[in-house]
Parts: sequence; C-alpha cells; structure tokens
Amino acid sequence: MPANQPLWLTAVHRLERAIGEPVEAAVRTDTYFDAVTRINRARRKTLGMVEGVSRRAWHTLNLPAGTDVRRMREQMSRMERRLAQLTDEVAEVAEDGRRTRVG
Amino acid sequence: MAPTLNPTDLVTRLNRDVERSLRRARNGVRYVRGTHRPKLGATPKEVVWKRGKAELWRYRNGTVRYGPPVVIVHSLVSRSYILDLRPGNSLVEHLTAAGLDVYMLDWGVPDELDADNDLERYVDWYIPRALAAVRRETAQSEVTLAGYCLGGVMSALYAAAHDDVLVRNLILMATPLDFDEMGAMVALLREGRLNPDELIDDTGNVPADALYSGFYMLAPTTEVAQKATLLEHLWNDEFVEGFQAMAQWSRDHVPFPGAAFRQLTELFVRQNVLMTGSMRLGDRRIDLANARGNVLNAMAERDNVVPSSAVEPIMRLVGDPARREELRLPGGHVTFGTGRGALKVTMPRMAEWIIAHSDELSEQEE
Repeated sequence: MPANQPLWLTAVHRLERAIGEPVEAAVRTDTYFDAVTRINRARRKTLGMVEGVSRRAWHTLNLPAGTDVRRMREQMSRMERRLAQLTDEVAEVAEDGRRTRVG
Repeated sequence: MAPTLNPTDLVTRLNRDVERSLRRARNGVRYVRGTHRPKLGATPKEVVWKRGKAELWRYRNGTVRYGPPVVIVHSLVSRSYILDLRPGNSLVEHLTAAGLDVYMLDWGVPDELDADNDLERYVDWYIPRALAAVRRETAQSEVTLAGYCLGGVMSALYAAAHDDVLVRNLILMATPLDFDEMGAMVALLREGRLNPDELIDDTGNVPADALYSGFYMLAPTTEVAQKATLLEHLWNDEFVEGFQAMAQWSRDHVPFPGAAFRQLTELFVRQNVLMTGSMRLGDRRIDLANARGNVLNAMAERDNVVPSSAVEPIMRLVGDPARREELRLPGGHVTFGTGRGALKVTMPRMAEWIIAHSDELSEQEE
C-alpha cells in the first residue's frame, strides 16, 4: 500500500479485505461448491420441466417448440462443422499442390 | 511546531489540485460514457496464416536481429491482446523492440463450428500448420515456442509429440500441470459435482459468461477496492487508460470449445494425467519428458489463477532435466502482459532469456 495514499482509500482497502477474505475463503469451501452444484441442477431441472410443458403445448397446435428449433440448430451446426472440415481438407490439398508445382 | 506554509507552495498546490479536479471530472465523464477507450493490441501486425477462427499474426515493429522466430500460443479461455495490451505496456512490443521476430497464434472467438475442436485438433492440427507457415515465412527450421496458460500445455504437448518444426526453446508461461493444485478454478468440475455437459450450452461450447463467473468468484470483492483506487487516480490519464484496458480484458472471455472442455475436465482435472508425465492423445502416448529444446518455466509468484504449486512440477516433468530453467516473476497471472512488475522485471527478463538462447542473424537472414 503506497505511503502517500489518502486515509479514505486506505480505509476502503482495509474494509474490502475485511469482508473479502472471509468471502473468498467461503467460496472455496465444499459447502459452497455443493450449493452451486445443487442450485445449477435445480435450475436445469426446472427449465427442463417448463420446456417440456411448453413443448407439449406447441405440439398440440402442431407448431415447433423452442427445443425443436434448438435440435435443428445443433444438426445444422454439425453439418456446418463437417463442411468446414472438408473445406480445410480441400484447401490443404490445393496448397500442397501449389507448393509442389512451385518447388 | 506546525509546518509553516510558504505562499508559493500554497499557490502551486492549489493549481495542482484545481488541475487534477478538472481532469478527474473529464476522465470521470469519459469513463462513465465509455468513450476514449485505449487502443488494445496496437503493435503493427499482419495475418500470415488462417484456418477457421485461428489466425497467425506476425508483428512488424523494427528490425529483426535474432532468430529463431518466437511463436506465442495463446490460451483458450481469454483474449490474446493481454500480451499486447497497449503501447508501452506490451510483451509483444517489448520482444519485437529487442529484435525478436514475434508471431502470435490467436484462436479467435469460437462458435458452433468449433464445438468439436478437441485437444488433438489444437496440438496435432492447428499448431503444426501454424508452425509450418512460420517456417515458410522465415525460412528457418527452428522456433521458440511460447505458450501462455493452457496454450503452454498445448505447446508442451506439441513439443513432446512433433518434430516437423524443431522447437529450440519452449517457454511455458503460467502453465498449469498439476490440476489438483488449481483450487477453486476447477473444484466444481471434480467428480460428483458439475459435469462438463452441464456447463456446455446450445452452441456446444462453454459460454464466455460461465468462464467469467469462474474468474470473478476467485476474488468477488476486489472490484470495490479497484474502483476506489480508480477514483483516487482519476486525474491521471495514464492510470485511467491502464485501468480501462485491464477491465476490458478481464471481462472479455471467449467461449471454450466443448470437446476440448470435456477432455480438460476428464483428463486434466479428474485424472490429473499431466502429473504422470504422459498422456494419451489421439492414437499415441505423449511423454512430456520428450519435449524438445531448452525449457523455461516462467511463473508468477502471486498468481491466484494458476498458483505456483500447479506450475512447479514442470521442472520435474517437461523436457530434458539438463535443459530446464525456472523464472519466478513478481505479480499475478497477468504479469506477462501488464503491470509495473511486468515492465521492470517480466518483459526484460523474458527478452534476455530468449536472446541468450537465440542466434544473432546475419544481414542476409534479417
């Protein structure tokens, strides 16, 4: 801490450490990690239930639900990835060919 | 006796305080409005190779006097401009000014297309191709390979598994090897808690926000102290600029490719395989002791992201024991990119080590 630091700033830093140290210690405990895990699981479960209800509602009206759109997006991403891979492979072959001709 | 106040001193002090108050008001308004942000990653560079989101940049900043070229492999969790933060406070600028030919392998911002990128993709596909591009650019068969954080792990694996481009020097900056020592950063991923798939979103990657939260929770209250320090130094343009640059970087995380994240969790966090000195990648076993070249284990003494205890085993496990060196640096995880310690110690000592393990180029080679 610099010697010429104003008193108010020193006080803020001390207060921050007084609160921060126990908080930092708390977020490193098993209790905290377990709590985060449980909250995360509960959130996902709730979200899953809500999605299930909404999916059934949309399907009753013969309309696609958010989960259908997500699944479609995932499939398209898989296709895009495969296409990108093939593009890379073609680019490599083309580059090798160019280098062989130059060499 | 109370000190007497000289009228001249009083006027000087008054002038200074008025001037600082005006600057404080001006910088405060700029800060709140988010204008006048510093230019980040400003060292002149050109893209010399590109595949997918990955780009290889060559920095142009003065005459190259030493070889082999230095290729920095950046981490997968943060933006690479931390190593070229701003003029006068940049590792890249420092190395290039010292006469080194510096390249940066930047991974860009992964999206759905990168969700399948696994460690093999980085170690056996991207890095070899980027280094081949460096060889074509420079006509030199060797490189100094410098990996930062997870980029260091990938660099060490490359150096141990490949001999297509010779690694004369392997620099591992804040590179974790012992994941049991990584503490809070990885504790949630250990067995019985979160599974990687619970963190991976619809794009197939771990969202940047999740990574930011992980870093934020390491020290959730320090932002208050930092903001108070900013308020005190708001009159100082240089300080405000540095603060803005760091604040921007520390919030600017990138999504982590899902496939690599699953491997990282299973192999590094849960099995801690790197501590066995070898790991299976693709269809073969890689022995870290086979890493070629001189190894520099550069670690920050006050790093709370990758603590020294996670980095120290490099001195037992990576490369030839006779060619390993350790460099302990003041500061935290970002000492490789910014801070007083970086300018005074980290950057000069890194440049010195690299130059001591490089050759002076003849005029023709330059």
